[in-house]
Amino acid sequence: MNIGNILLLVICALLGGYLLYALLKAEEFKMTANGWAQIGFFLVVILVITKPVGVFMARVFSGEKTVLDAVLRPIERIIYRLTGIDEKHEMRWTEYATAMLLFSGVSMVLLYMIERVQKWLPLNPQKFANIDPGLAFGTAASFTTNTNWQAYSGESAMSYLTQMAGLAYHNFASAAVGIAVAIAVIRGIARKETDKLGNFWVDTTRSLLWVLLPACLIGSLFLVSQGVIQNLKPYTTAELIEPQTVQVTGADGKTTTQTVTQQVIAQGPVASQEVIKELGTNGGGFFGANSAHPFENPTPLANFFQMVLIFAIPAGLTYTLGRMTKSPRHGWAIWAAMAFLFLAGVTTAYWAEARGNPLLSPADQRATSTQSGGNMEGKETRFGIANSALFATVTTDASCGAINSQHDSFTPLGGMVPLINIMLGEVVFGGVGAGLYGIIVFVILAVFIAGLMVGRTPEYLGKKIESYDVKMAMLAVLILTVTILGFAAIAVVQPFATAGISNPGPHGLSQILYAYVSSAGNNGSAFGGLSVNTMWYNTSTAAAQLLGRFFMIIPVLAIAGNLAKKKTVPASAGTFPVTGGLFAGLLVSTIVIVGALTFFPALSLGPILEHLLMQAGKIF
Amino acid sequence: MMDIIFLVVTALFFSLAILYVRGCERLGKGAKGSKS
Repeated sequence: MNIGNILLLVICALLGGYLLYALLKAEEFKMTANGWAQIGFFLVVILVITKPVGVFMARVFSGEKTVLDAVLRPIERIIYRLTGIDEKHEMRWTEYATAMLLFSGVSMVLLYMIERVQKWLPLNPQKFANIDPGLAFGTAASFTTNTNWQAYSGESAMSYLTQMAGLAYHNFASAAVGIAVAIAVIRGIARKETDKLGNFWVDTTRSLLWVLLPACLIGSLFLVSQGVIQNLKPYTTAELIEPQTVQVTGADGKTTTQTVTQQVIAQGPVASQEVIKELGTNGGGFFGANSAHPFENPTPLANFFQMVLIFAIPAGLTYTLGRMTKSPRHGWAIWAAMAFLFLAGVTTAYWAEARGNPLLSPADQRATSTQSGGNMEGKETRFGIANSALFATVTTDASCGAINSQHDSFTPLGGMVPLINIMLGEVVFGGVGAGLYGIIVFVILAVFIAGLMVGRTPEYLGKKIESYDVKMAMLAVLILTVTILGFAAIAVVQPFATAGISNPGPHGLSQILYAYVSSAGNNGSAFGGLSVNTMWYNTSTAAAQLLGRFFMIIPVLAIAGNLAKKKTVPASAGTFPVTGGLFAGLLVSTIVIVGALTFFPALSLGPILEHLLMQAGKIF
Repeated sequence: MMDIIFLVVTALFFSLAILYVRGCERLGKGAKGSKS
């Protein structure tokens, strides 16, 4: 047993021991054993499904037989015949990237046009008006890039046709593009002495037909069984048993008293959109409240299922990488690094939220049979602290962006966890496809650093990593940094942008920072509290989303194309192994150091400062 | 009017992205030992 294996065993033992310790000592930190048991069970389920999902995807994209071939292969052939695609044609990385860009560009224009004319299209029982140009552009960019940043509430703006043919279509298409790019990157690593990475159209079609559609069909039926609605009915109007008196401030600033006697209950085809929202790590809710809405996320089981859906494909892709590169242990080493970062994040978020607000310390904030305890502002009682902290961590580890609680209402440190998760590049399992090709960038940097330390040319699975690969990796990292910090820097000093802030001081900075981190990271979750349906935010977040998506994918595909050309060299005594605990540790360190060097100053002026001021008795 | 502006901006962005592809490719052609 070499030192790498020993270290991997030690890491596994530490992770297991940590979970056991957390379970036993939970009460001391105001957390609960029940909460830790659910978090631990969630990670075990992800571990169990990683291999079967990964094997299935490896078979699909390697052209091996699968159980679905008898049904899907004829459909696939018809699609190719109708669209004139030659499935045998293999593409260089430049052709692959160009096809991906053209597909995304045309799809974006189509969504924009649907939004702009929805008033005259069918399936609009609520007679919603056309979407304004700025919001339509922002939404089109958002859904094309798998971000699903929403500056609107779906139930009060989008027709059923827009939700289904526009938004849900993009949930499938953008996720399929992500998977296709990840598979192309894996082929680049696995293949040698070729410049071909596969066929973008074939990979996208197979992602849709074999992976996303069957899983969504079954998943949506399960969600319907839990109470998620699925209909095309007009909204229901219910008479209130007890009429409510409310104060309403009009456009002229005058406040009047109104008595509300009716409630409008939104309907719609929710289940079919809900399942791909999570499986495709899209995150755009049918309703404005997203997964906090009882029609989107009605039960604790539905909540657990949604979190599993978010991690299912990204976790499986780590095994797909290992299988297709004939190094399963490399896939598991990446999985272990991701699991470590996931546990670090969820622990911090759970601890910060469970301990509550220190300024309310005279009040009992412990969880009991009659109260959830901790900081319950912005959280659903039916999910409690543990499942809110877990959901927030999962949705930002992946580039999902669905929420079941308001991140803006988390404590400063609890809210910093989602922020950091996205800043790290959403490589902790990550987005569908995006998580894998994102972490490959860090793998390149990690083996490069390891090579520098021992004074040898770095190697990655037998391929020498040279200057071009590292340059492209740095381009991929820098585009996110420049986009996030650049737009945030403009926004924090311009009155038209700061006018959208609802809280002053460091919390306001966090709101703006989160908006651009979420956009460039293609996450799409909102911190909340920031009014973003303005021309500035609609266009600047759209620009951040487009740059963060496509200007990162292009250098990653360039790396894949360059790696595919290379010969493999046999491992020697100087080869840095990418299969053990040492590699996993170096990978985690690289991710954390790059993230910290880039974003620590911004974090220190936002959530860290807010935490210190809260300890001193000042809140925002 | 705004529709035309946004459609043109979209087309310009994706054209720029295709140029970026070409730029990355050219950088690769100039790289020493990129076929090793």
